[in-house]
Amino acid sequence: MAELDPSQPLPEKGVVVRDLTLAYGDTVVQQSLSFHVRPASIFVIMGVSGCGKSTLLRHMIDLEQAEQGDVVFDGHRLWTDDSAERAALQRRIGVLFQSTALWSSMSVGENVGLPLQLHTRLSAAEIRDQVAFKLALVGLAGQESRMPSELSGGMQKRAGLARAIALDPDYLFLDEPSAGLDPITSQRLDALIMSLRDALQLSVIAVTHELPSIFTIADDSIYLDNESRCAIAHGDPRVLAEHAEHARVRAFLNRQPIAAEDAAP
Amino acid sequence: MPQPASPISTLYRIEARPDGVALVLAGDWGASAQLPTTQRIVAEVLGARTHDAAPVVIDGTELASAHPRVAAVVYGVNEQLRTRAVDVHYEGLPESVHALVTLARPAQAEERTPARTHWLNRLGKRGGRRVASVADTAELIGNAFAATPKLAVGKAQARWVDFMALIRETGAASLPVVTVVNLLIGAVLGFVGAVQLATFGAGLYLADLVGIAVAREMAAIMTAFIMAGRIGATFAAHLATMEANEEIDALRMIGVSPFEFLVLPRLTALTLMMPLLFLYAAALGIGGGMIVADVVLNTSPASFLGRLQDAVAMRHFVIGFIKAVCFGVLIALASCYLGMRAGRNAAEVGRAATRTVVVSIIGIIVIDAIFALCTNALGV
Repeated sequence: MAELDPSQPLPEKGVVVRDLTLAYGDTVVQQSLSFHVRPASIFVIMGVSGCGKSTLLRHMIDLEQAEQGDVVFDGHRLWTDDSAERAALQRRIGVLFQSTALWSSMSVGENVGLPLQLHTRLSAAEIRDQVAFKLALVGLAGQESRMPSELSGGMQKRAGLARAIALDPDYLFLDEPSAGLDPITSQRLDALIMSLRDALQLSVIAVTHELPSIFTIADDSIYLDNESRCAIAHGDPRVLAEHAEHARVRAFLNRQPIAAEDAAP
Repeated sequence: MPQPASPISTLYRIEARPDGVALVLAGDWGASAQLPTTQRIVAEVLGARTHDAAPVVIDGTELASAHPRVAAVVYGVNEQLRTRAVDVHYEGLPESVHALVTLARPAQAEERTPARTHWLNRLGKRGGRRVASVADTAELIGNAFAATPKLAVGKAQARWVDFMALIRETGAASLPVVTVVNLLIGAVLGFVGAVQLATFGAGLYLADLVGIAVAREMAAIMTAFIMAGRIGATFAAHLATMEANEEIDALRMIGVSPFEFLVLPRLTALTLMMPLLFLYAAALGIGGGMIVADVVLNTSPASFLGRLQDAVAMRHFVIGFIKAVCFGVLIALASCYLGMRAGRNAAEVGRAATRTVVVSIIGIIVIDAIFALCTNALGV
């Protein structure tokens, strides 16, 4: 189970989210979120559209600051006042955005190479080697000089993934990785994410509501409910599909309509 | 705390072995600020081989850490040796490094970026694009002529609320910057003229100088420059963003003409507002000159205006007014054309805005020159 036991000390390894409350002004998006992402595992944040999945991800990668609570990476608090520590932690985080967010004025190679150029002292030739390898890892070998606009949707996702792992991060965040992709490309991307988890020993945190992807890649998961505005299920989604306590979770994972009495808050 | 950098030479060495050559990887690659390049390693490995058939062993038994950077170099070396038909084996590579190298898929021939085409082909394509853009411009102007009557009788596929917002944006919202620039331009003209004319005791004629310059040239040109930067760039960026977001395609799909819905209201709003702004700008420019005449030459506003009435014929204002209409049409068409033909990415949005400003400014000067030639030939 991913849920934290308040009576136990915090796990030293992995990502710990502790009593997190997300809000925009007076509007609470989610509250009292607590869970643990184990090292070298894939953790899926799931829920219906608008429940705050991407908002939670944006908080976990420090693009937003939470109203309350904490996010801890391997014992290091994300929202520390020490800006150097915060920057060092951010360099251990790779992110694949929902829109891929590839810089459109740069080639694919430049997109992947820029983090290395900014955060390492590697020479141009060394960076070229690293970029070639990262692109080969995602199946885009030899595509360095193409512009993002020349790539298909699936290729753009993979290029975004190559950029996300450019600095050999310890944590990889994926926002709707298979959104907008056909089932074959989506399945290949899922396989790639699992291979990268194994090969790079990454802790992967993925936001998605694509059921096939959830059942394929998730080692662990959390279900964010948009009615009670809190997490109402934690655990292996394959188990939750059958045995989740809440009917809304079972309905979501089995793609079934929700009964009227279960839909009410 | 950052660890001290390992010199590159400690990260690998080439060993001759009875059955070939070994590339022995060692040390902590993750802690090293610099890495050996695959090119350098391959050159050394190939140089150490005694014969072409000698295989190469990549030995990872002395590695202190299994950093992913090791995998990048192993992959690169293997790829380069493979293309030279060299037999490569791995020995003692850490499991995670081996897994990464296995996961990396080399490029297939058909996946590589296509080679650049011949320069003559590129030149031909570029020429073709130029011809096509001229044809597109002609089509846009033709559409403008054809669709304007529709707007006049309320049959165009445009929303009144959008049109009024554009009128406000191009008209009232532009007043502050038009005010500042034209008042100061009139004042500057007044200063320059006052100094020169006072030398000849002809200070009274300052009204002639400021009046004709502002009414015939400066008010229209300066207002057009402002509108090119303020409104042209905005139009281009807005339409380019809509193009990038497929909003224009969505309009086409519901049977709405993007020209009538997007271009026509902008064209009409700017064409209507430009001459009004010109009249406002001319009044302010003359006002600026009048203030300077009062302060520098002690010419009273009544004397200045009396002289202005005698000296500045209505035709100067008419010429400026017609120019303002032409400038408005130019800025609107240029911004809409460049905005709607921008590529579908963020960089193109900025490029469309910049191009609009550049094309508009050049166009304004060219139109002004044509007017100068024509009015000179007509003697007006």
